[in-house]
Amino acid sequence: MADRAFDIRKQTGFTGIAIACFVMLYMPIILLVVYSFNAGTSIAIWEGFSWRWYTSAWANEQVQEATFRSLVIAVWASGISTTVAVLAALATTRTRKFKGQTTVFAMINQPLMVPEIVTAVALLIFFAMIKVATGYTGLFYLIIAHSAFCIPFAYLPIRARLQGMDLTLEQAAADLYATPFQAFRRITLPQLWPGILAGAMLAFVISLDDVVITEFVKSAGQDTLPTYMLGQLRRVVTPEINAISTALLGISVTMVIAFTLLSKFRN
Amino acid sequence: MRLLPRRASLSIGGWCVTTAISARNLRKTYPGQPPVHALGGIDLDILDNEFFTLLGPSGCGKTTILRLIAGFEHPTSGTLEMFGTSLLDAPPHKRQINTVFQNYALFPHMTVAQNIGFGLEMLGRPRAEINAAVEEMMALVQMTQMADRQTSQISGGQQQRVALARALAPKPKVLLLDEPLSALDFKLRKAMQLELKRLQTETGITFIFVTHDQEEALTMSDRIAVMSDGAIRQIGGPRDIYDHPSDRFVADFIGDTNFLSAETVSADGTTIRLSSGKEITVSGAPVQGKVSLAVRPEYARLTTEEAGLLSGTLGEVVYFGTDTHFHVALDDGTAFVLRQQNGPDVTVAFATGDRVGVHFPPATAQVLRD
Amino acid sequence: MSDLSQVLERKATRRRWLLLTPALVILVFAASGPLLITLVYSFLTPGDYGGVVWTFSGEAWFNVVFQRDIFDETLGWSDAHLSIFWRSIKLSLMTTLACLIFGFPTAYFIATRPKKQRDFWMLLIIIPFWTNLLIRTFAVLELIRNEGTINTILLGIGVIDEPIQMLFTEFSIILGMFYVYLPLMVLPVYASLERLDFNLVEAGYDLYATRLRVLRRVILPLVKPGVIAGSILVFVPSLGAYVTPRVMGGGNQLMIGNLIELQFGQGRNWPLGAALSITLLAIVMVALLAYVRAAGNEEVRHG
Repeated sequence: MADRAFDIRKQTGFTGIAIACFVMLYMPIILLVVYSFNAGTSIAIWEGFSWRWYTSAWANEQVQEATFRSLVIAVWASGISTTVAVLAALATTRTRKFKGQTTVFAMINQPLMVPEIVTAVALLIFFAMIKVATGYTGLFYLIIAHSAFCIPFAYLPIRARLQGMDLTLEQAAADLYATPFQAFRRITLPQLWPGILAGAMLAFVISLDDVVITEFVKSAGQDTLPTYMLGQLRRVVTPEINAISTALLGISVTMVIAFTLLSKFRN
Repeated sequence: MRLLPRRASLSIGGWCVTTAISARNLRKTYPGQPPVHALGGIDLDILDNEFFTLLGPSGCGKTTILRLIAGFEHPTSGTLEMFGTSLLDAPPHKRQINTVFQNYALFPHMTVAQNIGFGLEMLGRPRAEINAAVEEMMALVQMTQMADRQTSQISGGQQQRVALARALAPKPKVLLLDEPLSALDFKLRKAMQLELKRLQTETGITFIFVTHDQEEALTMSDRIAVMSDGAIRQIGGPRDIYDHPSDRFVADFIGDTNFLSAETVSADGTTIRLSSGKEITVSGAPVQGKVSLAVRPEYARLTTEEAGLLSGTLGEVVYFGTDTHFHVALDDGTAFVLRQQNGPDVTVAFATGDRVGVHFPPATAQVLRD
Repeated sequence: MSDLSQVLERKATRRRWLLLTPALVILVFAASGPLLITLVYSFLTPGDYGGVVWTFSGEAWFNVVFQRDIFDETLGWSDAHLSIFWRSIKLSLMTTLACLIFGFPTAYFIATRPKKQRDFWMLLIIIPFWTNLLIRTFAVLELIRNEGTINTILLGIGVIDEPIQMLFTEFSIILGMFYVYLPLMVLPVYASLERLDFNLVEAGYDLYATRLRVLRRVILPLVKPGVIAGSILVFVPSLGAYVTPRVMGGGNQLMIGNLIELQFGQGRNWPLGAALSITLLAIVMVALLAYVRAAGNEEVRHG
């Protein structure tokens, strides 16, 4: 210890701020999770461990319906957005610059750039017109709206995967008598799978978490889990909300970790 | 220019020589500002069963020719035929041509055996036939032990062999090799050169080999086409190209060359006066007046000032192990390098700063347009 | 033969647009199309019970920043709107600043960890980023509300006699937005810092610079693109935030997003809501364009 080397990477106070940041990021979430197991009705005073809020949330018919609705929308939206994103990625990757490219990219990335509240309002206006004209008020509106804003999230990892892929592999397949379809099925698709899976998972999480657009697009009685929670916040808050949040958090965290592992896999 | 006499000479022997690939006025231009002329209208005949090399610096258009033959690109104009049938309407997967890619392009999600069998599988051959062919090919490239390995688990040299076996397995009529040895280290490259030549002889398939390495081209090829700037400068056998380069570019690109300025004296161009004033007799100059004389460093030797065709002052003497290089500053100002083989009996009679003469057999000097 | 390559080119173009069609149809139907209709709506007359009457009117755009006095019809600035705009910009800027002050050292901390640890630390940043924004806002809410964790603890140990009002203030909105958007600052700053060549830092010290000067004269200029990107990424969603000000502001501290919502709810003035939306969109686009310009220039200089 006599010789204390000068650490060129050190900046005074930075480590402290960083640690504070991580604590700030996780403390509220951890408290939220902890109090979901509170035996009492308070979200600040600990009265012992209990599953009661999970059971009560699970018994709550509104929560059940909202959960089911959230999952249905997320499955449809991630399925649709991933499918069209794969096709779009195949069309826009590894080609020379083409006419209309900027417009296409702008359209695909529009949901990332336009503030969510603006998209939400625009959809409210447009779908209100259609609802009046057709009389149909089903889940379709939510599914199509979710599909649209999930497209860039599905598109980006698929595109990244495609760009990292060796173009000569498909040429090699063609050279070895594979038709374009065979080359796609045997060479491109197997290598694209991690990207597709990652894209679908991202889309699923994004759809599951959406509040703003759902809040504006939904018809009466079409609450998803997040909009149900938003509505509950106006009332007296019990740890039931914590329990629902914890369950949702669990899904998101699992997905994100799986996504991270997947994008590392063979990349 | 050399194309016509060479082709004629091939038919003189009276053998029946089949042309495998034939290109006429083949042109490839990439759109852009300004457009890039990758290939400026070339004529080319590649014979059946020959080891043909396209040699040139990067960007000379050699890879473009390969990609046109494979079908990955389409010519802007011109014709391209294989055994008399036009290739231009056939997509890559309908051409009986296989390619060994520069980076091998092995399918990472398949085993060695699956890679080798892929072509036959796509051709819809029965499983038994595919398995037999895969066995045969793995034996041919000595990879039998590795059949079930993933392609990421084998070395560069082994990947090279798999790529070769994969391209050979469907028994193509023509095999294209795009600088396949460039990623290997020196020793492995040497070994693979011999191996490729052996495979070509054994299989009897026409090999079209692209490289920028002149030594590789000289050791393996039956014939070489030297290219630059999208044009073919010379086509000929290795010896022919080395000893009789058709122009300054070829002479400079293949091996090391000294260029001397000289001028023709006799009307038929066979007598040439060097800058030292001495006259030599050569086989014939392409033009009258000022010409360049190309002299290979190993064909020249040092001698006394009086005995040499040229004279100058000896500069650096550089020892290279197998041989020694002598740098001579000629009296007309040009630099001249001689190369002398080292050996137990070889001694050097001159030292830096000495006045020396340079001599070479006039027949080994190549007269080129200035 | 040039015909052939043209035919192939045309074929490739047709295939490309065919593949793009499904995505574009969905996007036109549920993203760009509705946006255009919103633009149209901003020029219509509001209906009595929400919706619109299809007669042209510039009133909505006029009302974005002006208002007529109810009694004498005199023209004046719309103080209510302007104060909400001002609050939105002020709170967004402060959020950005807070994210920078805390985010930069955090990114620096991660970038200076051993290579194998960095992914783990980044995962810790990314996980909150991909978890539900509402839940994260709610987590902060539980912490600072009057009967929340902080006040309960402080009351319990006797530091204060009655709870500190933190919720429903501008502070709580900033805190909430800081909390949810912090990862957006850390990610790009980390990306720049990770590429930073620490030999340059060594060279700085070698030439007698102090730690602070190395930071200001060597490190910061080199990671400026990342800092700018992070600032834009935080500023833009803050400006359009809706959930966080609604939950943390409790209806008293409106931001643009809430003002827009109001027009479709109690306000029943859809054209005004549409005009406000387009205004917000325009501001965001200007910010994004400025960023693209800056990033582009930066690239040219470094390229």
